[in-house]
Amino acid sequence: MEPHNEKYKKVLNLLRNSKPVLDSTEDIEIEVIKRIKENDRPGFNLLNAIDFLFGWVYIGWVRRTLITASIALVLVFVFQQGVILKRIEILSKQTIVPVMENVTTPTAEIEKLLVTYKNSGRRFPSKTITISEREMKELLESVKELQLKYKDLEDIIEGDPDIKRLIEKKLNENNHAKINL
Amino acid sequence: MLGDEDQAKDIVQETMVTIWQKLKKIKTAEVYKTWIYRIVVNKCYDEMRKKKRNPEFVTDDHSWELISNKISEGPSATLENTETSKIIRILTEKLSTKQKAVFVLSDLEGMSNDEVSEITGISKSAVKANLYHARKSISEKVEKYL
Repeated sequence: MEPHNEKYKKVLNLLRNSKPVLDSTEDIEIEVIKRIKENDRPGFNLLNAIDFLFGWVYIGWVRRTLITASIALVLVFVFQQGVILKRIEILSKQTIVPVMENVTTPTAEIEKLLVTYKNSGRRFPSKTITISEREMKELLESVKELQLKYKDLEDIIEGDPDIKRLIEKKLNENNHAKINL
Repeated sequence: MLGDEDQAKDIVQETMVTIWQKLKKIKTAEVYKTWIYRIVVNKCYDEMRKKKRNPEFVTDDHSWELISNKISEGPSATLENTETSKIIRILTEKLSTKQKAVFVLSDLEGMSNDEVSEITGISKSAVKANLYHARKSISEKVEKYL
């Protein structure tokens, strides 16, 4: 398309006559040189790194094999680390509730309770059973509680000969073994 | 093309650095000019894309008055750098990036459609179409304000 109006042509002519001129070429030159120097500074380069690591190998195919093997090893290592990290992540998300099912080493508390139980004149059955620490603790606690209640009852009976006699009579009647009060 | 002297200086600097970095790729001297233009135009495209997000409308009566005065001075009249950039800006502010590039390269730099096509990376027919629209838009503006 040809410019169809005179004014357009005149404006175009004015602009063509007035091509912009760079007035501070020296500053630009200095800046450009500075930037080129900055870019030319040796940074980390993979080829340089490979050259540094394997430059001592002069036989081409040996060098290539070493490079390939090392890359493969690095990849395997990275993969393995990835798998391990993933596994750790999965495990860390799982809730672990430690439950000791078997009594292996009785704690001091249980030991104390057992001594109390033995001192009360009770004996453990000869049969070996395996119970959890928690169950053992509950059992001994209930025995202790029972002993306390029993002691109260003993005191009441001892304090009243009539009740003592009545109970002994009733027990004999039912062919029960005499309770050592 | 950018209508801003400071930005143009930045583009010149960046272009020089790019030329330095990629000089080895140039095999023949014939393509050198086109290659440099292409670098400049691409960098201008980037700047214009950034500008497009924050458009500045610069049309004012003073600029049109200036053009009118300069035209009346005759065919040998010239403009200062800032005046030239301001006038190009007001003439091309409604144009697309491609239209602006094609107008600058064709009508201001006097390049052929083939050269413009090679520099801008758009087809010859697209160059013609863009140039047509650019000229039409500018002509309308000139008719309206001068």
